[in-house]
Amino acid sequence: LRRVRDLCRVLQLPPTFEDTAVAYYQQAYRHAGIRAARLQKKEVLVGCCVLITCRQHNWPLTMGAICTLLYVDLDVFSSTYMQIVKLLGLDVPSLCLAELVKTYCNSFKLFEASPSVPAKYVEDKEKMLSRTLQLVELASETWLVTGRHPLPVITAATFLAWQSLQPAYRLSCSLARFCKLANVDLPYPASSRLQELLAVLLRMAEHLAWLRVLRLDKRSVVKHIGDLLQHRHSLVRSAFRDGTGEVETLEKEPLGQGQGQGEGEVGNNSLGLLQGKRPASPALLLPPCMLKPPKRTCPTPPVSTVTGEEDISDSEIEQYLRTPQEVRDFQRAQAAKQAAPSVANPP
Amino acid sequence: MTPGIPIFSPMMPYGTGLTPQPIQNTNSLSILEEQQRQQQQQQQQQQQQQQQQQQQQQQQAVAAAAVQQSTSQQATSQQATQGTSGQAPQLFHSQTLTTAPLPGTTPLYPSPMTPMTPITPATPASESSGIVPQLQNIVSTVNLGCKLDLKTIALRARNAEYNPKRFAAVIMRIREPRTTALIFSSGKMVCTGAKSEEQSRLAARKYARVVQKLGFPAKFLDFKIQNMVGSCDVKFPIRLEGLVLTHQQFSSYEPELFPGLIYRMIKPRIVLLIFVSGKVVLTGAKVRAEIYEAFENIYPILKGFRKTT
Repeated sequence: LRRVRDLCRVLQLPPTFEDTAVAYYQQAYRHAGIRAARLQKKEVLVGCCVLITCRQHNWPLTMGAICTLLYVDLDVFSSTYMQIVKLLGLDVPSLCLAELVKTYCNSFKLFEASPSVPAKYVEDKEKMLSRTLQLVELASETWLVTGRHPLPVITAATFLAWQSLQPAYRLSCSLARFCKLANVDLPYPASSRLQELLAVLLRMAEHLAWLRVLRLDKRSVVKHIGDLLQHRHSLVRSAFRDGTGEVETLEKEPLGQGQGQGEGEVGNNSLGLLQGKRPASPALLLPPCMLKPPKRTCPTPPVSTVTGEEDISDSEIEQYLRTPQEVRDFQRAQAAKQAAPSVANPP
Repeated sequence: MTPGIPIFSPMMPYGTGLTPQPIQNTNSLSILEEQQRQQQQQQQQQQQQQQQQQQQQQQQAVAAAAVQQSTSQQATSQQATQGTSGQAPQLFHSQTLTTAPLPGTTPLYPSPMTPMTPITPATPASESSGIVPQLQNIVSTVNLGCKLDLKTIALRARNAEYNPKRFAAVIMRIREPRTTALIFSSGKMVCTGAKSEEQSRLAARKYARVVQKLGFPAKFLDFKIQNMVGSCDVKFPIRLEGLVLTHQQFSSYEPELFPGLIYRMIKPRIVLLIFVSGKVVLTGAKVRAEIYEAFENIYPILKGFRKTT
């Protein structure tokens, strides 16, 4: 129980959280399975109780943070967490993304000049936070958040927000360098989330009259993120069409898959030549996993006529049996293998 | 700001805690039996309706002729008319309803014609999804009824692997049906990988025959399907954040751990893994009908999160 309180203090949680987390731990400890569990599991349980308490108070604590503090693998934490939620019958609210954005942004060491942070890289915290929140909201609306770990999306959004506030000086800075300067770990998927977010912004830019003519790319669109976010609601509506009802239609047409996107891309190319006088047709608003072509087609399995009571021929079974010669060979090989370790390896 | 709330459709009402809403599940009958029962009822009622329509026409003629008589007679005929239309079962709709059956709908549950096969249900009603979950894996167990020497089996069978330091069972595989078996020294066996109940049974029998051929007095006792896994695709994206909000008591969605939402349905007792792409995995069934029933239960709920704008 002392470990529970210690963890709460390390995380600088309000005092009321400690009592709740301790209560959960005591509740869990009443179950025989938990009492008999290994010490490692009990230590993980400490983290689980603290995490559940934080979630219930909308305190943005990630599982990764707890695992880092407790020196445990996410797999081990995951199994204990799921078990304890089920055991205690708890309703644990989802991680509050807005609070996580605020906490995460606050951890970036970019708000004060320092020897490692050039003056032109220093940014106002409130401006950066506000823009990051808007970008995360945009990501969520365009299916970039659902089913994904939240932190890489926030990292990508923070980076874009920071870049867009002073693009002239910051466009040359990469995501990796940004995280290093800010003294923050770079999550692996953040690069991929960044590309997805940029693609969304580019689509939106095609529907903003004064940006359409500029033929932006993933680098130059950053300069206009402010404008895009200002009009994001209407731009999302015009740049994307709801893909929820259209996936079936597209799949039924053999050449139609990706047609919506194809039209959009073709439209871009040809309209680019016409100085972009008309916007490209709206792209499908779908999660990225639904926009990518399937890796392999799954053929419909043929209807099986197996009854389960068919006769089994001897020949079919005998194919699985070794001949006496094979048995002897196998035994010889096994004996040789067992004898081999006793022979010293040559230098 | 939370990402989901401005986007999601109005909150779905909570269920009773057993079966997710909105489903018109009646009593404890499985959906297959219910649909069959209602199809029979519909046929009977269609015949009755035809007869009653003729009677109504006669009654209306009488009522029109007797319009100057007491109003109670008119009320009676009107009530009879309304009562008749209200008797139609809710799952089967008349042509006047605006919702149309899904195009290309075929009998929902194609099944091989075997004694073990569940009865093929009737033509689906309008609320039916028209999507059939495909079975992907069947796990079954059987008792071979004798003690086994695993070393001998591993020595004399081509398709066996045995590493007692790692796992205390022989792992055997056959090509048709493409399955894997775990054979224990107690004589118990687990068969996995089959795509249907019948294939699982056939595979288990083949493994038993192999063990017999190796010289053991193997029998085939207490064959039982322990778990069935199915999967399907609803073909539209799903706002998992919204689903976990409205069905919190059944759902677990932790994107930090797993990209899918884990939905623990109470009736039938099935676990569903629901992904943002609309793909759904159903597991925990002992019979095929539970998979189908669970999917038919979840489909209207998922449709509720279809429109995002």
